[in-house]
Amino acid sequence: MIEVKEISKEFKVSVKEPGLKGSIKSLFKREYIIKHALKKVNLHVKEGEILGLIGSNGAGKTTLVKILSGIIHASSGSAKVLGIDPWSRDNNLRSQMALIMGQKAQVWWDLPALDSFLLLQEIYQIPQSVYKKNIAFLADSLGVKDQLKTQVRKLSLGERMKVELMAALLHNPKVVYLDEPTIGLDLTAQKAIRHFLLAYQKEFKPAMILTSHYMDDIEKLCKRIVIMREGSVVYNGSLSEVRSQYAPEKIINVNLKQDEWSFEDVSTFAKKLGTITSFEEGVLRIKVNRDEVAKSCQLALENLPVQDLNIESADIGDLVEKIMLKGKQ
Amino acid sequence: MEFRIDFYFRIIMDLNYYFISFAFFEIIYLHTNMLGGWSHEQAIIFIAGNLLMDSIVMSVFANNMWWFPLFVNKGDLDHYLTKPVSTLFFISLRDFSANSFVNFIMALSVFIWAIANYSIPLTWWQILVYFLLIINGAILYYIFNMIFYFPVFWTGSPRGFGNLYWILIHSIERPDRIYRGWVRKLFTTLLPFSIMVSFPARLILEEFSFEVLMHILLVTLISWPVYLFVWSRGLRAYSSASS
Repeated sequence: MIEVKEISKEFKVSVKEPGLKGSIKSLFKREYIIKHALKKVNLHVKEGEILGLIGSNGAGKTTLVKILSGIIHASSGSAKVLGIDPWSRDNNLRSQMALIMGQKAQVWWDLPALDSFLLLQEIYQIPQSVYKKNIAFLADSLGVKDQLKTQVRKLSLGERMKVELMAALLHNPKVVYLDEPTIGLDLTAQKAIRHFLLAYQKEFKPAMILTSHYMDDIEKLCKRIVIMREGSVVYNGSLSEVRSQYAPEKIINVNLKQDEWSFEDVSTFAKKLGTITSFEEGVLRIKVNRDEVAKSCQLALENLPVQDLNIESADIGDLVEKIMLKGKQ
Repeated sequence: MEFRIDFYFRIIMDLNYYFISFAFFEIIYLHTNMLGGWSHEQAIIFIAGNLLMDSIVMSVFANNMWWFPLFVNKGDLDHYLTKPVSTLFFISLRDFSANSFVNFIMALSVFIWAIANYSIPLTWWQILVYFLLIINGAILYYIFNMIFYFPVFWTGSPRGFGNLYWILIHSIERPDRIYRGWVRKLFTTLLPFSIMVSFPARLILEEFSFEVLMHILLVTLISWPVYLFVWSRGLRAYSSASS
């Protein structure tokens, strides 16, 4: 559904010294630098898949999304979305695509959302029956039935984002780009939007690209991720592979029963299971190889005065950061 | 119409402009009988045409044109580019100014009054031609205003050239014959402000000139592809804005 081959994008950006002197100087002689926003990026997204696009600020995620939605042209390379070149701004493609940008509104600020939806119904030529059905489904799933007749500017940030999602998905797009859809939202709203996106993906099976700085979004929604650093793809694979490849170990947290053990005895035994990362106030943390987790747990339960025990996977955010920083130093 | 006070205020503001336009010519005609070859009552028909064109521009295009360079500067054009309709059509007509439409009704009333009080009776087709050419003038006004805004794609500056247009556009408020030499050539060709209302007025207030009519139509026909070409080049240069 989405195919990207060797896409590169360069921007010519002017730079100037700070202050009045710099401003006057730049009036006569302006200096430019070439910023390589994307460097030969390759990726593909299948029908019904949500691809997580991760990277720090300026990594090129939004630039890639803008290129794929036909907003800006690539400097080189090619892309096909539903078999169509996105820069052709073909109406057939645009009518099957949606772009949601967490930081930019598309619904009319001064109007109630329903007025914007009516305009979108005309733009996308949505039959009345489908329009009514979609409004009901989306408003119900997102829990904004009562907010649709209120001026958008009077809504809370979370409600506004939900209304934005409704506006973008009214026409049942086959390709959806979500650029930081949960930015600035509280935890409840983030969770509601994630639930909704999963339900929507299940129902309509669009190809989705999701960019987000919230690892919870990525973990809950994406099976496959692409990690970008300074315009290049540094990882393209499944989320589970990230863990097995970059976190070959897990942490076993053991809570010990009070007063039934000695520090030395427990430490000596724990060292046989793996590496002790901390041992404070009766809580022992042992790092063990993923393959040894079951065996180590069993040994711990048999040989230590265990009150309770849990297994902790490495934080995905830390792992992604590790990949993003790898080779940078 | 979402903001009621603003709605009424804008109507009053535009009426104020209409009043000043008439007052300006009334003062001039206190000192002369003819201006640019036109008598006082002919000038009234010209001003009425000018106000009518202004109200059309204000109702249909003005708000949209005002926002356009800001959209480009801030990257808000992004969403319009993803919709399956002509982006130019969408951004040009997205916002219809209801308060200016009230002014359009008033300007139309003034227009009818001016024609009805003209001492030389006009035929229905003369009035129709004048009216249609005023609409053509409003489209030309929009085209050239947008052409002045398009440099924002390269400069990034949301105003600049647009402000220059607002200064130059005042030349449409005067009869074309007051301009001489290269200024006249400029205002009838490259920056055709004089052909927006003044030329159409000449067609009905003076002997009908096929040459003048062709001049108006030719400039309109040439302007349109130029406008589309600059727009398409601008879009290629569009770099959006950081989000």
